[in-house]
Amino acid sequence: MDIFLQQLANGLTIGSMFALVALGYTMVYGVMKLINFAHGDMVAASAFVGLTIYTQVMGQATSLGAVIVIFLLSALTMACIGVLLERLAYRPLRTAPRLSAVVSALGASLVIQNGIMLIWGPRMRIFPELVPQVYWDFSGVVISLIQVIILALSLILMIALYLFVEKTRMGAAIRASSIDQDAARLMGINVNSVIALIFIIGSSLGAVGGLFIGLYYRGITFNMGWQYGLYAFIAAILGGIGNIPGAMLGGMLLGLFNAFIAGYVSSTWADAFTFILLILILIVRPTGILGERVAEKV
Amino acid sequence: MKFAKMLLALTAIALLAAPAIADTIKVGVQAPITGSYANEGQGIENGARLLAEQLNSKGGVLGKQVEVIACDDQGTAMAAAICAKDLVNKGVKLVVGSYTSTCAEAAQKTYFKAGVLQTSDGTADSLTEKGYWTFLRNSFPNSAEAEFVANYLVNIKKYQRIVVLSDFSTYADGLANAAEAAVKELGGNVVSRDKIKADSQNFTPVLTNIKSKHPDAIFFAGYYSDGGQLRSQQMALGIKADFYGGDANDNPDFVKLAGSAAEGAFIINVPEPAALPTPIAKSFIADYQKKYGEMPPSIWGLMNIDGMRAILHAFEQNGDTDTKKAAEYLHNLTTPLDGITGPIAFAEDGNRKGGAYVVKRIQADGSYINEYVQ
Repeated sequence: MDIFLQQLANGLTIGSMFALVALGYTMVYGVMKLINFAHGDMVAASAFVGLTIYTQVMGQATSLGAVIVIFLLSALTMACIGVLLERLAYRPLRTAPRLSAVVSALGASLVIQNGIMLIWGPRMRIFPELVPQVYWDFSGVVISLIQVIILALSLILMIALYLFVEKTRMGAAIRASSIDQDAARLMGINVNSVIALIFIIGSSLGAVGGLFIGLYYRGITFNMGWQYGLYAFIAAILGGIGNIPGAMLGGMLLGLFNAFIAGYVSSTWADAFTFILLILILIVRPTGILGERVAEKV
Repeated sequence: MKFAKMLLALTAIALLAAPAIADTIKVGVQAPITGSYANEGQGIENGARLLAEQLNSKGGVLGKQVEVIACDDQGTAMAAAICAKDLVNKGVKLVVGSYTSTCAEAAQKTYFKAGVLQTSDGTADSLTEKGYWTFLRNSFPNSAEAEFVANYLVNIKKYQRIVVLSDFSTYADGLANAAEAAVKELGGNVVSRDKIKADSQNFTPVLTNIKSKHPDAIFFAGYYSDGGQLRSQQMALGIKADFYGGDANDNPDFVKLAGSAAEGAFIINVPEPAALPTPIAKSFIADYQKKYGEMPPSIWGLMNIDGMRAILHAFEQNGDTDTKKAAEYLHNLTTPLDGITGPIAFAEDGNRKGGAYVVKRIQADGSYINEYVQ
């Protein structure tokens, strides 16, 4: 039983990181019908930005306040880069065929990945131990402080995002733009600023995810964005791409699925099973768990 | 426009002049210069360039300058195969590297077919089992380390429940399998033999499984980039077992990744660069520090440099750069050559002869203390 609970804790921790990153994919897809392949690399970039803020701006201070400042500054930096990315790589292609935008997204991914390599070098960089290694042992199930922080902060951010999208006027504008951009424009919604907003939100959440990766695993490499991006992308599809609660659910489920397969079947097969799951979802329920069935527009 | 014309003219001159300056001995370096093992790959490239510089300042080898051509194999078999073709096409006589057995193995056949000598620190036994005369291992094979590990864990520390863990690479899987077999041979109890995916970072599911087996020792055959994170996650899960990292964990990044969890972990390897006693090692390491402002990342780069030195020495002794003759010379050395990492001589199958291991314990400040010396 304690093994089951331990795997549950492992799965929820990694799942909440997937969920944070998946939100970036799903929000952009919801409004623009575009898979932002550069998102995973934005996540990787945020970990490096956070590390630089720690060493250069904060002077290697390790207090709680310093950690909060690192999170805020990284999220702000990545939000700016996100808006810039949309301006340079996606807005010029807004009316172009969808394939062109996808190719542009792949190109942006390579540019960001190689940019990280040129700025911070190809070597693995190592995050400082900003969160003290504190553990609690509940009769065999060990939970660490960093796991609690990751889980709690992810849940708070996701609930806040959900309330923002469902309850505020800006949220209504996002929902309207995702249903029909032209109609939204006719209703007086500035779709350009809605798109800028989703890039700000998506990139900031991705930045938090990237910092979690740095804080939890400590080792960050320029090409790690690919791996996390892929998992988050699967999570977004699992939950129903374009659907915000779906991305949260998909991330959590994927994390749990991965932990239980690795724990009970074989760690060797965890990845293979993840992709088998993806294929099954696409066959049985192509719109994902929470995605709605929509008639193809002709 | 004028500038472009000048450039064109300069290029033409350079092309015409090329044959005149082509009389060099080309040494290929195939190493993971980027990617997860970049730290080690750059160590190999830096070392090779330094040695070439030192030889050239003394008039080169056989009166020719030594030219180093590096190719980045990124630690992946696919890039390694491309590097091999590329280096052969560029006319290298010998290749130093690669760092990982997987990459050395992927390139091996290309060098063998082209008659290009290859010297690698890859420790997988399979590297020398193919009968390629072109391959010279400058480190000691996995089987030697596995026997040492098994003897240490079973007979000296008397562990009752041993876990053997590796990734899927040629080197790690080979070392782990050899260690598992050697432990069983000595009557030891292997409670679990698990595998992780290199670079996947999330090792807690595997470690949770390991925890349920209540081990008293974990032997991880794999690389430092995973080893440091494994150690940190092992402590986070409250697994009390002693952690033993195989030779590829011997890198400063292991300690940085594991952070405060590094203390008390053990690393098994041949002695580290700073502890090398010979004058030739001391002077080379001092020159390395002077040129690059840091210590060589580990002993692996230096082993590769020893391989390069040995082959160039063979060219010098034979009076020409015939690779077949050089290999024969190195296989039949009556007295070992002086190397940075100790005496160097090769068996008929291309293995380096000899080898002694140490067990090092990581202290609170991240430095090593010798726990056991063979």
